[in-house]
Amino acid sequence: MKNNLTVIKPVAIKAFSALSTCGMGNKALYQSLADNQSQLAPLSLFSISFPAFVGEIKQPLLDIREQLAEYNCRNARVALTALNDAEGGVRAAVETAKDRYGAHRIGVIIGTSTSGLYETESAYGVLLETGDMPDDFHFVTEHAYQATARFVQLELGLTGVCYAISTACSSGAKAIAAGQRLINGGLCDAVIVGGVDTLCRLTLRGFRSLELVSNQPCTPMDKNRNGISIGEAAGLLVLEKCGADNADAMKVLAVGESSDAHHMSTPHPEGKGAVLAMKNALQLAGLKADKIDYLNLHATATKINDSVEGRAVFSVFGDSVPCSGTKGITGHTLGAAGALETIIALTALQQQFIPGTQGLQELDDECQCQVIQFPLQTKNMQIAMSNSFGFGGNNASVIVAL
Amino acid sequence: MNQLYIKSAAVCCPDSKVLAAFNLQGSDIDKSLIPAGMRRRTSVTTRIAITAAKLACVQADVGTQNLASIFASLGGEIQVTDALCRLLPDKNELLSPTQFHNSVHNTTAGYWSILNQCQAPATAIAAADDTFAMGLIEVWAQLQQSSGERLLVCYDELWPQYLTPPIGKIAFACAFVLSAEPDQSIGAITLPQVSQQKEQALQADWVKLTKAAPAAAVIPLLLALQHKQPCIVPLNIKVPIWTSLLEV
Repeated sequence: MKNNLTVIKPVAIKAFSALSTCGMGNKALYQSLADNQSQLAPLSLFSISFPAFVGEIKQPLLDIREQLAEYNCRNARVALTALNDAEGGVRAAVETAKDRYGAHRIGVIIGTSTSGLYETESAYGVLLETGDMPDDFHFVTEHAYQATARFVQLELGLTGVCYAISTACSSGAKAIAAGQRLINGGLCDAVIVGGVDTLCRLTLRGFRSLELVSNQPCTPMDKNRNGISIGEAAGLLVLEKCGADNADAMKVLAVGESSDAHHMSTPHPEGKGAVLAMKNALQLAGLKADKIDYLNLHATATKINDSVEGRAVFSVFGDSVPCSGTKGITGHTLGAAGALETIIALTALQQQFIPGTQGLQELDDECQCQVIQFPLQTKNMQIAMSNSFGFGGNNASVIVAL
Repeated sequence: MNQLYIKSAAVCCPDSKVLAAFNLQGSDIDKSLIPAGMRRRTSVTTRIAITAAKLACVQADVGTQNLASIFASLGGEIQVTDALCRLLPDKNELLSPTQFHNSVHNTTAGYWSILNQCQAPATAIAAADDTFAMGLIEVWAQLQQSSGERLLVCYDELWPQYLTPPIGKIAFACAFVLSAEPDQSIGAITLPQVSQQKEQALQADWVKLTKAAPAAAVIPLLLALQHKQPCIVPLNIKVPIWTSLLEV
């Protein structure tokens, strides 16, 4: 390849927080992972004409303040609730960075697949009935892809670089990549990155049309897996340039990216793009494959995705790296998955444990990589990887370190 | 890196009056650039973006198979999304699987990578009125990390006017091949920065067009390149105005 990859500088993770069906904050997430407890349940947010288990956020969401009312949608409220999670400390870390570097030096890069589409769907009901969109419909500040990123920027009083990345299910991982580059390139001193995606009708019915939605809680890597369970989440991380005062923070080492160049919704049969993303990540981090202590799989629980990923992982790592897929607990949170599962990888390092693969009963015969079924306590784990692969053959693998 | 070098710039705008009004060179959708099978499956937004992208790559004489790309659009596949949203109020309506996977923001990026058998990373970003400026920033950061060239495509198609008029009254796409190296460049810009410029100081016809066609934010840069005129170019139309200094 012409675009040579040389080893890049890590960036420090000052704070991170996840809001998902597991609840608010990193402890709640860890608890579900440690208990290997599926949080998937029948959909309650809206009604659909087929059975679907989803990873729905059940707890109350914070309200958007009056001045930012035109940004008010479920996606922004989920982002705000995660931002204000005191235990994760994302907001406090941004405030500290703001004092230190200035509001213009802090970027906001948020991945999402559908942004505020949920509210737009309701607006279309009004449109079709009356011929007009309802008065409180705000396309650019709710539905458009950057809406949640801009909301976060305004909520935090930041004035620097701000955009959304929307590459389907790799969005959250690619936002981390963009944040690391902005810091390493000297364009920002700190960046709030992550993914925020919320349940909506179009996504559920769309995946149903592709015959990819399971009518039971999903069972990643299982022999009898039959499709995904969709979830929703916000995963936010504050990245900062490395220095003496954050030397003990966990780090993003690198994010490897690639394209399948094969099909819009089906992965390359040999996992060519997936292999390339993982290899690029290792190369950018300056690591040999045997340095990875844990791999959080994309593992959506569709027949083809899991078998292709299993093959791809085996070709890079053999069977030596413990892997697990956690979507049986959280659901597939789409544009947030890359961020949420990077946080799961960070939690694994912090707690020195390997999450299980909830729902897995009998491993697919074809799968040769080392899939962990039940959570394991371990020690000396230093480095973890998280895979995210999306529509359009868009792939990203994130490497983080303790 | 002090400057971003521009190797080529190409416009696709099906409305030739728009091009004439600004004395811009540009093309309609070029069917010969997209194979028939793919053409049938893709929207106007993807076709204008791919036309501009192909033309920019030809102009720059750069291979597309290893070229990483950045697709920047405010609304992306808005017509596909609109068509699907119109079906949703009826709970029993079946969605088309092809339409569904074609509704993602990185649809154009996906088809571009398939068309060119390109496994290099492709990304799809959005930043409302700042989409062009943020696209340049993403390219800049990518080139700081690893050298070579990048393809930046800015585009938005015709939108249903009940969404947020006047956005989408005009379809417009523009593509650039950009590099950290000066060889064979037609100009170079500095890192986009927030300026003190006021909206009133911007050229009124351009502002009007850009309100209807977000990707037309590229026009001051295109015109300055065309006239070989070093200047400070605005990259968006609403304060804060992002600007770059162009050298030619």
